[in-house]
Amino acid sequence: MAGSALRRLMAEYKQLTLNPPEGIIAGPVNEENFFEWEALIMGPENTCFEGGVFPARLAFPPDYPLNPPKMKFTCELFHPNIYPDGRVCISILHAPGDDPMGYESSAERWSPVQSVEKILLSVVSMLAEPNDESAANVDAAKTWRENRMKFEEIAAKTVRKSLGI
Amino acid sequence: MRTVLLTGLSFVLTGAVIGNAYYQKKQFYPSVVYITKSNPSMAMLYIQAFVFVILMGKLMRKVFFGQLRPAEMEHLIERSWYAVTETCLAFTVFRDDFSPRFVALFTILLFLKCFHWLAEDRIDYMERSPIISLLFHLRAITLITLLGILDLYFINHAYYSTLVKGASVQLVFGFEYAILLTVLFMAFVKYILHTLDAQNENPWENKAVYLLYTELVLGFIKVVLYLAFMMIMIKVHTFPLFAIRPMYLSLRGFKKALHDVIMSRRAIRNMNTLYPDATPEELQAGDHTCIICREDMLEFSKKLPCNHIFHTSCLRSWFQRQQTCPTCRMDVLQAPRPQQVPQTPPPQQQQPPQQPQMPQNLFQGFAGMPPIPGWPPQQPVQQPGTSGASTTGTPATPTTPNAPGSGTHTVSATGTHPSTTWPTAVPNMPPFMPPMFPFVMPYGGQGMPLPPTRPEGLTDEELKNMEGQERQNVEARIQWLRDIQCLLDGAMILIQQYNTVASQSSIPNINLSGTPSNNTPTDTNNASSSSREKSKESSPVVNNDRDLVKDLSDLEGATGYTAYRRNDTHLGRSNTRRT
Ligand SMILES: [Zn+2]
Ligand SMILES: [Zn+2]
Repeated sequence: MAGSALRRLMAEYKQLTLNPPEGIIAGPVNEENFFEWEALIMGPENTCFEGGVFPARLAFPPDYPLNPPKMKFTCELFHPNIYPDGRVCISILHAPGDDPMGYESSAERWSPVQSVEKILLSVVSMLAEPNDESAANVDAAKTWRENRMKFEEIAAKTVRKSLGI
Repeated sequence: MRTVLLTGLSFVLTGAVIGNAYYQKKQFYPSVVYITKSNPSMAMLYIQAFVFVILMGKLMRKVFFGQLRPAEMEHLIERSWYAVTETCLAFTVFRDDFSPRFVALFTILLFLKCFHWLAEDRIDYMERSPIISLLFHLRAITLITLLGILDLYFINHAYYSTLVKGASVQLVFGFEYAILLTVLFMAFVKYILHTLDAQNENPWENKAVYLLYTELVLGFIKVVLYLAFMMIMIKVHTFPLFAIRPMYLSLRGFKKALHDVIMSRRAIRNMNTLYPDATPEELQAGDHTCIICREDMLEFSKKLPCNHIFHTSCLRSWFQRQQTCPTCRMDVLQAPRPQQVPQTPPPQQQQPPQQPQMPQNLFQGFAGMPPIPGWPPQQPVQQPGTSGASTTGTPATPTTPNAPGSGTHTVSATGTHPSTTWPTAVPNMPPFMPPMFPFVMPYGGQGMPLPPTRPEGLTDEELKNMEGQERQNVEARIQWLRDIQCLLDGAMILIQQYNTVASQSSIPNINLSGTPSNNTPTDTNNASSSSREKSKESSPVVNNDRDLVKDLSDLEGATGYTAYRRNDTHLGRSNTRRT
């Protein structure tokens, strides 16, 4: 059969549908390809992203879970840890070894212990608490640090946009 | 839509050019001559040819790949950019034989390259698609065969034209197609492995191993090809700047493959030989889900030294990427010998206790010293009334200013008896002690005897020797620490003598109980005798490997060796990731 990656992804999907974590919906884009997932992430409460629903795509490598998936928001999101093209930059998505920012301890990195659920929960907490030290979007990091009002304004705009208002 | 429009426009313009020529000349040959003579017409025809190539490419893509996935498209565009840039660079090298034919050859090369990349991507995709249709196999096989034939043809062509006409631009094409052939071969091997894997009901454990070795061999071939190409190009033309990036990439890929093979072999060997199989009780006791595949572990599981349990097959494929425990990230290549890595070994213990032989001649060397009967067992001679004052105060400040070249040590004991100084020659002080160190022993109260922190006294070469993490650097550091130890020993002997003399002439003793661990007076004879023996050795300090290993582990913390080694493994790990 197509291997352990597929079986594990199926298991994770089952787990996610049986016990969905709060504020997260995720699953394969279509049943034929379990290696491309779509996720919907609600903006965490009491943050400037509250109320928003942000779609993202996850692309899994053939040797998942030995290597991490790639995650990309398909909506516009102005955030210090999200590249302007939507790619998410958090340590859990980096295999130990590749360290684009140069200061992540390998303890936070990807290992088979992690899962889709943990990734998405990390993303939620990243939305709540941006880490402006390892900025993927320098503009956003600067705004977040120096002009919080403006950052929240932009965030509110993305929230409205994500709801289609 | 826009592409259709542009294509249509190019056809219309070409038709106009040809029509215009025919309208003016009325006959076939004159119109051909007219078109070739007229630059705008020729430009139009070149553009038309380009459009044809693109259309052809699209057709082939439809035939062999169907719809491209977005990832494939992205990949293709990214790689094409590099390829186009490098082709432009190559044009600068071969500007002499620049001609339409030459451009056409490069276009064909680029074209075939794209198809090789697409084939590569598509075959990688096999592993993750649940169903592989018959059409897929048909396409893959015909594509690989076709590309292989084309590659071979072009290599052959380049070879003969080089033989006949001498070195020319055909050299570049020959090498490029040879490289493409290795890429294709890799894709072919992957295709076969994936197909075989798909036929099997159970996951095939050895697939990753075969892949790893194929990668290693092909990586080696690529590196050899690139090196040969570089050499020939430098000899014949100039430095091939355009080949630098792919050459670097292939070198890096080869290094990574080699590293992967070595490290994973080591980890897997450890797994097979050192780690026990998990017992049924252990499986029952804990959560018996394998964290890697999220399936139950009923059998064939191994327990790592950190007590984490995984499927043997899962662990094997993980070790092919990284050599750590997936759960706690313990480095499995470091762990099997934990007993050799004591936590905080005091550096003073580096010399094993030796037989308490009293080095008599050491003391005969001190001018004016009275013989000390039964010295070793009777040490230390302490007077309780004064010892407290002497430890906290400053009576013991033996300085040994060792002027370059002079073998003279001067001990000046300040404090209660500042006038007692012995200008003594110490012939048996360590001869390997670098004589250029002006050396001050900061013995304050109960403080540690700090090592001489005077790096400016070292030559650049000596400093360089002590940096880094290579074995010889560590050895240099050990040597340096030993020198310090010998100096300390020497100072201890002088203090002992001072104490002996002082006890005889009833002046306050220097209390040595505050000095660090092993240099307490009872040990001094051991240490000094060992240092004396060391001093006699003209051979290198480190005699055999076991000694060194012990020394290395003892010296952890003292030399920064630990930190370097950790760093090392971290750096090493960075190459382990397979992409
Ligand atoms: Zn498993
Ligand atoms: Zn562990």
